[in-house]
Amino acid sequence: MKLGGNMISIKDILKNIGIVAMTMCATLVSTLFINFSIDLKSISDLVTEEGKALYDAQLMTSKVVVGVTGGCLLLTTLVTLFFYIKIYIDNHKSELGILKALGYSNISISKKFSAFGLSVFVGTLLGYITALLMMNYYYDVQLSGGLLPIFKPSYHIELLIYLVIIPSVIFSIISVLYSYKKLKTPALDLIKGITKTKVKRVSIDDNKSFLEQVKITTFKEKKSLVFFIGFAVFCFADLIQMGFSMDKYASSLMKWMMYIIGIILSAVTMLLAMNTLIKNQKKNIGMMRVYGYQMKDCKKYILNSYKVTAYIGFILGTIYQYFLLKIMIEVVFKDIEVPAYTFNYKLFFITLCIFAVIYELLIEYYSKKLNKIPIKEIMLDSI
Amino acid sequence: MIKVIDLHKSYGDKNNKVEVLRGIDLEIKDGDFTVILGPSGSGKSTLLNVISGLEKTDKGKVLYNDSDITKLNDKELTEFRKNNIGFIFQQYYLLQNLNVDKNVRMGADLISNKDYKDIIKAVGLENKLNKYPSELSGGEQQRVAIARALSKKSKVLFLDEPTGALDEETGRSILDYIVKLQKEEKFTIIMITHNENIAEMANTIVRINSGKVVDIKNNKNPKSAYEIGW
Repeated sequence: MKLGGNMISIKDILKNIGIVAMTMCATLVSTLFINFSIDLKSISDLVTEEGKALYDAQLMTSKVVVGVTGGCLLLTTLVTLFFYIKIYIDNHKSELGILKALGYSNISISKKFSAFGLSVFVGTLLGYITALLMMNYYYDVQLSGGLLPIFKPSYHIELLIYLVIIPSVIFSIISVLYSYKKLKTPALDLIKGITKTKVKRVSIDDNKSFLEQVKITTFKEKKSLVFFIGFAVFCFADLIQMGFSMDKYASSLMKWMMYIIGIILSAVTMLLAMNTLIKNQKKNIGMMRVYGYQMKDCKKYILNSYKVTAYIGFILGTIYQYFLLKIMIEVVFKDIEVPAYTFNYKLFFITLCIFAVIYELLIEYYSKKLNKIPIKEIMLDSI
Repeated sequence: MIKVIDLHKSYGDKNNKVEVLRGIDLEIKDGDFTVILGPSGSGKSTLLNVISGLEKTDKGKVLYNDSDITKLNDKELTEFRKNNIGFIFQQYYLLQNLNVDKNVRMGADLISNKDYKDIIKAVGLENKLNKYPSELSGGEQQRVAIARALSKKSKVLFLDEPTGALDEETGRSILDYIVKLQKEEKFTIIMITHNENIAEMANTIVRINSGKVVDIKNNKNPKSAYEIGW
């Protein structure tokens, strides 16, 4: 961090790889589907009676995919952006405090945070370029049935404005406003690293052991983590199973897009949630270790406190994908003969096993990571 | 008996090595009140961390009744701290998301101490069981830290500038309370401070400077917390 000048470096921006990945996926999917929909609508006069059902199905699919995938990714990007800005401010509190003490106003400092919008620009631009490169192949796949007239893609430059420029500008403005709100802390508190956190009162049965009480408090005090961990696993269960199930109804391109988006969305959200959990509990874990609690206790009662949430997320994701796909097939393919859709138990158990292994590995990774930090370092960390 | 033999500790890499402890030798008797006195940067905090098993040493031994804790791995050190050591820090280090009762239970549960509420009562916080650290004054927070440390009935209590963040009146009452309890429970106290006045309360005063012990004095007439200067 350079005082006054380029406060946020390119290196800081590149750390936001999660944002780049998510915005890239959102723009890639949206560009492909919207571009195709625009072109498809322009040849509506050429669609035969035989191809009308497929024409309607294609348009409907585009709307659903862009709405669901784009919407989910956009929301997650926004939350991730807030998280990165908060982490950046927390990690650079003293420097920001010095800037404020020297006389820089909140707005002049927060203007520099517009650079966070750059990661959105990089992601959306990469997504847009990838979509352009894939466009011919995508059209070939979508029109391969022979029921619709063959046509080549027209490139709609307005999509560059709507899907790249405008989101980048909006995210830059949001970054400035959010950092401005966060910087409203007195300069001295920032320099000293004083954080005024509101403690959430959690009522627990006094007969429970200290470790049980820690577990319940950890779980109840951050409702947002319950949502994010549940959401991450929901996306994993939903998109992976849906991708496999769609094999019979859509192209393999669609299937792979589902997998990639599912993995990126769940991985980014889960890592975000786990990092927040570690950040919140690092000092407590440090003090528990000082007093003689083993890391396995901290792992069981703190890191694993959201395990049930994760499995509920998995079940909900499975139910959601089943009904969504069932309804989509009934609506989109109402005039087309397609194989009946049934719940795939084998797929469910395989996905569940993969999820269980990944989840345990993730918890083990964070546990090992925390164990490697010297206790002294945890305790010297500003309160 | 705690014996520290030729203790060395340094930080940094080969090119930028800072030797903080440079051959410390020390003996602390069971039930003694020892103060380690020294200016900032003398190595007293590092010495406390190493003796208490919070940090590893580069060279030397730390013997607790002939058992060398420098040979223990992380898991064994944690178990050793659980069974023997209590801490009271200048910054209290309470768990901010737990109330007074639960913070004290953190220590009590380690030895299944069901009578921990007596200790809370003894430190005068029986009416603040459901308060959170942020709702307490500095003195009250330090009392919670004391209750937490005492509730696990530690054999050795390490105090790192325990009154550093407190005003005179609260500081004196905290020290008075700790010494009173030590006389009753007979545990060992090792306290680090840069305050010459507080050192007058101890039985043994160890002066360190630049990572070496420069003087060890037996104090035959320890003063009370209300007799020392501030």
